[in-house]
Amino acid sequence: MKAAAFAYCRPATVEDTVAELQREEAKVIAGGQSLVPVLAMRLARPRTLVDINSVAGLGRLDLDDDALRIGATVRQRCVELDARAGVVPLLRLALPSVGHRELRSRGTVCGSLAHDDPAAELPSVLACLGGSVEITGPTGFRRVTADQFFLAAMTTATQPHELVTAAFFPIARRGEGFGFGEFARRHGDFALAGVCVKVSMAQAIVATIACFGVADGPVVRDVSGLLESMLTDGPDTTEDTVRDGISAVAGDLAYDIVDTDGDVHASREYRRTLLSVLLSREIARAYHDAVRSMREVS
Amino acid sequence: MTNVVPALARVESHDLIEVGFTVNGTPAQPRVAARVTLSDVLRDQLGLTGTHVGCEHGVCGMCTVLLDGAAVRACLVFAVQLQGSEITTVEALGRPDQLHPLQEAFSRHHGLQCGFCTPGFLMSAFDLLSHRPDVTRAELPNELSGVLCRCTGYRNIIDAVDDVACAYREGLPGPGNCNSGRSLVGRNAAGPVSTPQDPVGNQETDADGGGLHTIDAIRLPTSEPTVTITVDRQIGATMDGVARVFSDVQLMARCLPGAQLTDDLGGGRYAGRATIGLGPVKLSFRGVAQIVDQQRDRITILAQGRDAGGSGAQAQFSLAAEPSAEGARLTADAQMFLTGRIAGFGRSLAGDVSRRMFADFAAAIEQAARGEEPVAAEPPSAARLLTAALASRMSAWWAAARSRIARRGAGVQNSDDR
Ligand code: FES
Ligand code: FES
Repeated sequence: MKAAAFAYCRPATVEDTVAELQREEAKVIAGGQSLVPVLAMRLARPRTLVDINSVAGLGRLDLDDDALRIGATVRQRCVELDARAGVVPLLRLALPSVGHRELRSRGTVCGSLAHDDPAAELPSVLACLGGSVEITGPTGFRRVTADQFFLAAMTTATQPHELVTAAFFPIARRGEGFGFGEFARRHGDFALAGVCVKVSMAQAIVATIACFGVADGPVVRDVSGLLESMLTDGPDTTEDTVRDGISAVAGDLAYDIVDTDGDVHASREYRRTLLSVLLSREIARAYHDAVRSMREVS
Repeated sequence: MTNVVPALARVESHDLIEVGFTVNGTPAQPRVAARVTLSDVLRDQLGLTGTHVGCEHGVCGMCTVLLDGAAVRACLVFAVQLQGSEITTVEALGRPDQLHPLQEAFSRHHGLQCGFCTPGFLMSAFDLLSHRPDVTRAELPNELSGVLCRCTGYRNIIDAVDDVACAYREGLPGPGNCNSGRSLVGRNAAGPVSTPQDPVGNQETDADGGGLHTIDAIRLPTSEPTVTITVDRQIGATMDGVARVFSDVQLMARCLPGAQLTDDLGGGRYAGRATIGLGPVKLSFRGVAQIVDQQRDRITILAQGRDAGGSGAQAQFSLAAEPSAEGARLTADAQMFLTGRIAGFGRSLAGDVSRRMFADFAAAIEQAARGEEPVAAEPPSAARLLTAALASRMSAWWAAARSRIARRGAGVQNSDDR
């Protein structure tokens, strides 16, 4: 179908964008790869689309000491291809699974966060890493951490008159390792279940998972104790041992995490099974990666 | 991926916005409402119907084109967002006589059946191989997952793309049909132009071919013509006689079988109609002709018309005469671009019929140049056209058959003989 008619503007500055957003039923468009299908199916009929692709500065990718800052109009595929993004390995692991190449050419990282589809990869990446989002509104900008940003399915802390101007993905440190995995009916489709893992072996063992496609938003859990209990040989424990050990208990973990009814694509039980497989595989992989990172640097 | 579009002040939903971008190397300035997608502009306004539309909401990948060098879904981008962008569609990939390696590979590997998905696959594969010439066969199913095919089962598509990937590890050849400088009109632009009331140009035209009158310049498609005809004929008429015909548009029109001028639009433009009947097929074209060059010894006419049933034709006719021993030698060239039902005849039959019509046209011009009233002024003789077309095929067949018989008779054993 065709989108219903809408007024359109393409402001040059963030201030003008915010001013335009004060109108009733105005919606921001950047890449549009989530929004245009919604418009085409007439699930939404905003009166005005405020296109932020001309806003100066939003297309920047910057690196500071702690984080990779991704501006609101930076395309997913640019991040995928830009060497600077290598400092956030989890992002690089996840991006090839975000939609299809043709969607990533146009779709933005921030747009995916702002849209917050429960089955989307990038919200879980941000949540797993404990990143944050910059929201700009009439009174200026504020930074909101991932746990405060994703509220429910397709609902974030962004108010209707505000826009996401950037996202901050923490840079990987020595001794950190990552895992990412998902099951989808076809590569690039929304995942039936997926998981992001971050393991740090630098000091105390810290392991965090963020699951997607299994609840109404990213489900973040601290699994440090679980991982530690698997390391029977300390840092010499093999990846296989960790995987096998976790797989014995991953079913219970998945049972607890999956909070969605089945749909035409997969039942609740099937999603639990998928998630438990992914958990054991990816936690073990992240652990292995963390050990490698520890050894590489020292 | 990097083009930064200039800012634009607010436009209301009913406003039309002129957007300037480049399509296949040629600048275009469509006027669109904000909600119109790139795929609709390409197909409906620019006539580039190679970009297919399946789902219209980003699922199937049929509409894949390159935007500033990267594959995107044209149904998920609003045209108004593309000021200053560079768009490449499947039409740019290759030419009929010189296909792009990807197109050749699809053909060789039977990578298509109905062909509906093919433009999407070609553009997606082009993007993939131009960014990742090292892609492995094992990666192809995932990398090509953005386009759906309901016919082939994908294997042959993967074979085709893998074949090209292996052959061009050093880099994929670029699009072979990006011709800047030629006007950009695709194959079905013969249709009425769109209006604010009818942004996609769906409305039937009025009895006089209404919308067509508003075309201020006829532009031919950049694609290869469906039919190219050249007639070379010695005519028993003087150069003066020929000049008289070339200067009298009404008389020339009477030389064309089934044609009729209905209106002089001024500025060398004429409205008219042309009727063709071919067995059960009846086409009645209404359209505009424009004289772009008119001299004593040559004339060039552009024509564009459409039949109510959706067939479209655009053509350029050039006639030139030079003195010869028998009086004059008439050379006539026609390039015709056909769309819709008429193109469905298949190239060869449409070609045969057009060729025959054109030969009749040349004969009628000869008569007119001698001062006789041209015979083609009669109503179109469908039966005659068809028989003529068939007769010329029959005689070609008969000639071939005779030569086979002759060879047999001479006892020549040839593997061609069956
Ligand atoms: S028509 Fe664009 S993806 Fe289906
Ligand atoms: S060839 Fe028919 S859909 Fe692919």
